[in-house]
Amino acid sequence: MATHTLPGATTENYLNSEDGILSWLLTTDHKRIALLYTFSITALFFLGGTFALLMRLQLLTPDGALVDLETYNKLFTMHGIIMVWFFLIPSIPNTIGNFVLPMALGAKDLAFPKLNLLSWYIFMLGAAVALYSIFRGGVDTGWTFYTPLSTGYAMGYVVMAAIGVFISGFSSILTGINFIVTIHRMRVPGLTWFRMPIFCWSMYASSLIFVLATPVLAITLVLVSLERIFHIGVFDPAYGGDPLLFQHLFWFYSHPAVYIMVLPAMAVVSEIIPTFSRKPLFGYKAVAYSSMAIAIVGFLVWGHHMFVAGMSVYAAMAFSFLSYMVAIPSAIKVFNWTATMYKGSIELSTPMLYAIGFVGLFTIGGMSGLFLAAIGIDVHVTDTYFVIAHFHYIMVGGSVMAFLGGMHFWWPKISGKMYPEFLGKLSAITVFLGFNLTFFPQFILGYFGMNRRYGSYAPEFQDLNVLSTAGATILGVGYILPLVYLIWSWKYGEPAPDNPWRTTGLEWKTPSPPPKHNFEVTPVVAWKAYDFEAQREELHLG
Amino acid sequence: MAEQSLALREQFATPEQQRESATLGMWIFIVTEAMLFGATFAAFAGYHHWYPAAFNRGSSEMELTMGAVNTAVLICSSFTMSLAEYFAARGKPRFVWFLVLTALIGMLFLGIKFTEYYMHYKDHKLPGFGFQDSSPQSRQVQLFFFLYFVMTGLHSVHLLIGIVLVLLMLIPALIYIDENYSTPIHNISLYWHFVDVIWVFLYAIFYLPGAHLK
Amino acid sequence: MRVAETSLRSIVITWLGLLALTLTSSLIGLLNLGSMNIVIAVVIASVQAFLILGFLMHALYGQALVRVVIVGGIIWFLILMTLTSTDYLTRGWLLPSGK
Repeated sequence: MATHTLPGATTENYLNSEDGILSWLLTTDHKRIALLYTFSITALFFLGGTFALLMRLQLLTPDGALVDLETYNKLFTMHGIIMVWFFLIPSIPNTIGNFVLPMALGAKDLAFPKLNLLSWYIFMLGAAVALYSIFRGGVDTGWTFYTPLSTGYAMGYVVMAAIGVFISGFSSILTGINFIVTIHRMRVPGLTWFRMPIFCWSMYASSLIFVLATPVLAITLVLVSLERIFHIGVFDPAYGGDPLLFQHLFWFYSHPAVYIMVLPAMAVVSEIIPTFSRKPLFGYKAVAYSSMAIAIVGFLVWGHHMFVAGMSVYAAMAFSFLSYMVAIPSAIKVFNWTATMYKGSIELSTPMLYAIGFVGLFTIGGMSGLFLAAIGIDVHVTDTYFVIAHFHYIMVGGSVMAFLGGMHFWWPKISGKMYPEFLGKLSAITVFLGFNLTFFPQFILGYFGMNRRYGSYAPEFQDLNVLSTAGATILGVGYILPLVYLIWSWKYGEPAPDNPWRTTGLEWKTPSPPPKHNFEVTPVVAWKAYDFEAQREELHLG
Repeated sequence: MAEQSLALREQFATPEQQRESATLGMWIFIVTEAMLFGATFAAFAGYHHWYPAAFNRGSSEMELTMGAVNTAVLICSSFTMSLAEYFAARGKPRFVWFLVLTALIGMLFLGIKFTEYYMHYKDHKLPGFGFQDSSPQSRQVQLFFFLYFVMTGLHSVHLLIGIVLVLLMLIPALIYIDENYSTPIHNISLYWHFVDVIWVFLYAIFYLPGAHLK
Repeated sequence: MRVAETSLRSIVITWLGLLALTLTSSLIGLLNLGSMNIVIAVVIASVQAFLILGFLMHALYGQALVRVVIVGGIIWFLILMTLTSTDYLTRGWLLPSGK
């Protein structure tokens, strides 16, 4: 059935099947496109991280000595714009998702391979425009572009940055369409919905958000740009407009967007934990339904970003209640991951360290979100470092760690090489420690009232800020290490077998790296997901 | 006769899977367009609730006849597009003429629309360009017109893109579209009809509410 | 059927129906029905949309999944409208404490 190649044999695979730069720039192979994206978002991640580092250096001292305050505004704005739209949103879906999803379904490629390549070019165009706005002098409105600051008073290249984001939105939309159609129509015979790995369910849920939420952001940015250019618009109180309308439309996208950032991360974790517990995922259907529930209920909660903005208190109460509801499916997933590990045969490999770290840090971040969902508490901690800690626990402690875990997990399949395990574990621990040192103090700072988006602060906050900056440098080291050794392993790593982790999933039944068309013979699936028992012999589980 | 390579791309197992996938993809794209326009309709709904008098006044300034005629024009273009799709699916070469007719009728719509825009400009109803209104809620009336120009403008842009795509479609239409492979015609038809759907709602909210106030 | 198809007869009847509905809504627009004017206009437009979607876009004839997609799109638009309007409808109301 599956072809087994000896590691080290140079068979024809998707990397060497064609040569030359054009074979990469004009490829329609989902695996090559995944690598194009990986290259792009990694570069953008380090750019966004550089802005973060500058911010943390500024905050070493209370008087804001490093940069002037207007520059500081630009730093946190560009950090947010790059990290949200040009790293987090595309990261797992367009790298790991692009690579793994068709293979996990047994397919030869996505439904629309040319559209996939177009997605990447659109993404690069959007990034180029946004970067141009940075190099021309930047934007200082915050990544949230609130009116009337963005439409009337901000200095800086607001429209240009908005256009960059607008363009990149179409990349998201095309990816979402591609994934949804692929999952509906291109599963191989026998692969029913409830036999799909949870990775696919979560990618599907994320794709629903891509297609339903992103267009609203697109038109909202157009409206902001029109108002800024023509000095008249729908958000302008002088004409009866409502600045809060902008916030409603913006957060209608941006809250589900955070679930775009976390659902793929959960997808990765749902593959890693069963593998290194040598046990099927506990409560498969509950996790599958929870993925869908997170996507759907996530559309109903956006008003919790606007509790203090002047919204009706009755609307606020509705949004608060719904925000508590959305935590439930996430909690279900955490319980199920934990139950998967219970009495499992745990191997603390690098991906598993990242996955376990995800579960802990996501839980802390999620629970701090419950604090914020309470209007009474939110009134005190909104726009403080408490909120910053909350979302960084989820997006960095969660999504970035899951991204790194996933890159390590699928690295043998993608590159055909093993990464150095010791360095992998060392980096995972460095990232975990550095992350917590950076962001835990920020919960305390926020609780005691340190404002976000301020380049200076009251002197009593300095100690915790120094700790946070120290953590940030450790975190930076933790990110640079994998960059170095993964690139090193591409050339010098030990050749990888087909299935180094001896796990289930159709992608592991191909050689590492896979051939261009993934499967020589179309697989037929006759087993449940994570069915280690049924495949005991084939996986040499003993 | 369609070339075999067009009848089946390599990632698909059967032509039916390919056709269904293309249609499904097109429909999901249409839903994204619905959300794009939907946000503007939500903005309109909010402000109409807050400023009913101003919005009715703005609506009374519309040329009902031109709007109604334009609506009929677009409906006729949907008719010709449906005929193009019908005949293309049966391999009848006359479908090409219906495509051309569709594009021409679309251009007629845009001609009428831009005439209207020019008339509004001349009447000082273009926000930001010498807008004048004598009612006490003139500022909210200007908000109405801002929404009018943005929403119908967005629609016109989509229609223009549709016209360009239909014209570009003539090339494959003449070369390889036949009863075995007419998916591109089917998909452009979906897009065209959707643009029509948006228009009927725009007509309903901009032209009709104040029509009795003339 | 291989492809979701509408018969020639249905296409012609739909076309004529759409024109008739346009005429109807235009004539009704000339009557003063107060706040119902816009409601009726939107209702008639919805009927027109149903005809276009169902017959000209073959939604009534093709894959069931397409109908799910359409209904999903409508629901999502309504989520945006409804939840936003919870703010706009209640903005001026008194706080629960009476202030």
